[in-house]
Amino acid sequence: MKIPGITSDSIQYDIKLLFPVLILVGIGIVMVYSASSAMALKKFGADSYFLKKQSLFALAGIIALVAFRHIPYKMFRPLTYVILLFALALLISVKIPGIGYSAGGAERWIRFSGISFQPSEFARFAMIIYLAYSMSKKQEKIEVLSIGVIPHVAVLILFTGLIMIQPDFGSVMILCAVTWIMLFAGGVRIKHLLSGLIVILPPAIYLLQIADYRIKRLLSFLDPWKHSSDSGYQVVHSLMAFGSGGIFGSGIGQGYQKLFYLPEPHTDFIFAVIGEELGLLGVLAVLGLYSVIMWRGISISKNSKDLFGAFIAIGLTAALGLQVCINMGVAMGLLPTKGLALPFLSYGGTSLLVNMACIGILMNIGASQTR
Amino acid sequence: MKKNEKKNIQTRIIVIGVFFCLLFSAIIVRAVHLHVFKGSWLSEKAEGQYKRSLTDTGKRGTIFDAKHREMAVSIDVTSIAGFPRSIQKPSKTAKTLGTILGINHKQLRKKLSSKSPFVWVKRYATPKEVQLIKAANLEGIGFLSENSRVYPNRSLGSQVLGFSGIDGQGLEGLEFYYNQYLKGAIANQTVIQDALGRRFREEKKILAEYNGNNLILTIDKAIQYITEYSLDEAVQNFSGKSGIAVVMEPSTGAILALAHSPRFNPNTYQESNRGRWRNRAITDPFEPGSTMKIFLASAALESGYCTPNTIFYCEEGRYKVGRNTIHDTHPYGWLSLQEIVKVSSNIGSVKIGERIGKEQLYDMLKKFGFGEKTEIDCPGETTGLVTPYSRWSKIDFATISFGQGLSVSAIQLITAVSAIANDGVLMKPYIVKAIIDGNGRLVENFQPKKIRSVISLETARTVKKIMQDVTAEGGTGTGAALDGYSVCGKTGTAQKVGKTGGYAGSGYVASFIGFAPAEDPKLAILVIVDEPQEQHYGGIVAAPSFKRIAYETLNYLNVPPRQVKSVVSSEKLTTFRDKGANG
Repeated sequence: MKIPGITSDSIQYDIKLLFPVLILVGIGIVMVYSASSAMALKKFGADSYFLKKQSLFALAGIIALVAFRHIPYKMFRPLTYVILLFALALLISVKIPGIGYSAGGAERWIRFSGISFQPSEFARFAMIIYLAYSMSKKQEKIEVLSIGVIPHVAVLILFTGLIMIQPDFGSVMILCAVTWIMLFAGGVRIKHLLSGLIVILPPAIYLLQIADYRIKRLLSFLDPWKHSSDSGYQVVHSLMAFGSGGIFGSGIGQGYQKLFYLPEPHTDFIFAVIGEELGLLGVLAVLGLYSVIMWRGISISKNSKDLFGAFIAIGLTAALGLQVCINMGVAMGLLPTKGLALPFLSYGGTSLLVNMACIGILMNIGASQTR
Repeated sequence: MKKNEKKNIQTRIIVIGVFFCLLFSAIIVRAVHLHVFKGSWLSEKAEGQYKRSLTDTGKRGTIFDAKHREMAVSIDVTSIAGFPRSIQKPSKTAKTLGTILGINHKQLRKKLSSKSPFVWVKRYATPKEVQLIKAANLEGIGFLSENSRVYPNRSLGSQVLGFSGIDGQGLEGLEFYYNQYLKGAIANQTVIQDALGRRFREEKKILAEYNGNNLILTIDKAIQYITEYSLDEAVQNFSGKSGIAVVMEPSTGAILALAHSPRFNPNTYQESNRGRWRNRAITDPFEPGSTMKIFLASAALESGYCTPNTIFYCEEGRYKVGRNTIHDTHPYGWLSLQEIVKVSSNIGSVKIGERIGKEQLYDMLKKFGFGEKTEIDCPGETTGLVTPYSRWSKIDFATISFGQGLSVSAIQLITAVSAIANDGVLMKPYIVKAIIDGNGRLVENFQPKKIRSVISLETARTVKKIMQDVTAEGGTGTGAALDGYSVCGKTGTAQKVGKTGGYAGSGYVASFIGFAPAEDPKLAILVIVDEPQEQHYGGIVAAPSFKRIAYETLNYLNVPPRQVKSVVSSEKLTTFRDKGANG
């Protein structure tokens, strides 16, 4: 069915996917500015510091989206192991002095020629490609534990182990959840999946216990008001932001929680700023846009004639959905505090770039179905 | 098989979709819960953190004189505040500030590194200091606008005006008495505060409506000035301890000037002696001495027992009352009532008292307002002391007849004399004419208030004539006589009660009271000099000061002089002085 040369198809974009993403990125830029201007003015002497950077990231994101829209996703298949090894190398490099650097007590970043990058974001992508490749290859024997589950879990443990020592518990959570969802989608037996959960539980509890701050975070999540001056501080102020917003919100720029009450208002807690300034309607609108993206992602996955593509699509969609749910859950006090970005909205280059590239890939998969 | 598998995968993908649908639904439920159902509770909690209720006070009202000249004003000044939470380097900031303001660095650093969100660095900084600090561009240092009280005429009328403290509270004088009117209203302001304690004013609510009301005094700045320097002159010339002078408009009871000597500068009231702050004309009772003889004369004439020509034997200067002996400075034989007042004979006065009786005298003193507050609008007024006549011993009665053994305030004295000037009608003294708000609207208007008719018009006229004679040749008050204006007056020389309780003869209170012009009195003036040295007669110490005040004030008020020349030439006046006068 392949038609050589440029056709209308090859330049066609899935507007149902593209528009929600662009709208979210636009809202993101506005809200990042609103949330960060006071802090930027204090720290950098220019209220537009984060606005300018986020705008540049958005531009780079759009380029990434367009690029990946046109790179046939099937090209990833032979590169799976290269990508996997590269991701591993990046994760290890975080620990190398001179390349990796820390922020907020965790070494999550690497830096080269002035550009910072979060390897865990790339690791997630690598994991999705690997799983999609592996499961589509082993599809016939997926229900066999040693083939359908063990190798994948082994790679997962390797990755999570490396991310854990950064430490970045949020990324680990998402990585595990994405893997589990992809294994489920790939046809792994429910029995195996459930036993996987049970196997994960003890080390998870152990890890929670050895890290003091995780316990604190967990406790504060259960009763934030009791810990409102220390570990529950962020959640309490986030909840206040939502409550102050009401149905219509206080208006863009009119929120108060961002005035140094709410830590990280432009990154992890951007949703709280949206809740305060745009109100319930703003929150529902944002959720609606994500829903459209999710719906597109799932239907692309479902309609993909190729298993590799279907698995990549469901993996990317699930990863996106999980980020959204966990970030919002944290902001609304439903989940313990995690340092996770809200896709397309939070300030941050890596997150924006990777997520928009993922949308590009999704579009490419979606476009391939019709060919 | 493959198709089946594919279908299985598609089903599982849909299951994943449903799973996310559920997650999103949970978020929506939570959002509605937070925004709608817990919204008010949460926003209240949030407001409790970022909203601060600030009470700001409006500007204190201005005090104007009778001609709308400023006597006390509030001006905007800048105060310097620190927000320790946003100060990164307290020691460096403290050093810079300390150098500019001349404050101890260490103390300042302690303040600036404290935990409180707000500290005062300096209140009422000078414009230069503010400019320098602004130029230094320090983080966490803010500028707040405040009001400072300024008395542009410095010590002029200081005891009358009083002063207000740094927080805009009236502490003394009119500032204290009219504090409720003068002080600015409290404006409750909501201020937004960020987590670092920095404040953003939501709206500038301070408007004229929060400003205090303004006072318009009956006091005229020019007359006050005339009175003050004339009084100062008398006090200085005779090395007096202090002095009081009051100028009143007899027909209304309005105080035109109320002077003290020495004064203080209310701008720097803390630096002056506390004892000087009092408005002694109102608060301090003193023994009036011979000035009281005019009220004795009024009582005698009003009673009908005497006429100005009724004669009394003055015992040639010595008169025994019980175990005590009353003296006159000059021995006199027979004197008429008019002459008794003119030469101020004590013995004659005792005789007049004996003629009319205790009750008559007591009633008349009460009717003139002695022993009671005049209700003038100044704080801390004394009633003076006039004991009921039933408790008067023989000697008490005798001394009260010539103004010793009772105490009065300067304001009572001038008010009572004004009643004589005002054809026998006693007016309530007042010092504030009107209260107006910031927009010039009248808040309160004080009209002259008649208290009672004390003596008949006829008696008043007779007493006036007697008083006019005091300043004529041969009287004790010739020093108060004016060219072109006829003056009614009476001298007073009271011995002060010594520490032992008796009249030890150590100190005197010299006074002169009177009014002018006699035909249509425009001014009643009282001059009191406490403990003058060398000379102590009211006619010598206080009368010239009275004369000067009266003359300059009548000129200032454009009161036309008579075309006739004064009866007393200055040459004769000097000769009289040499002779000396009694009381």
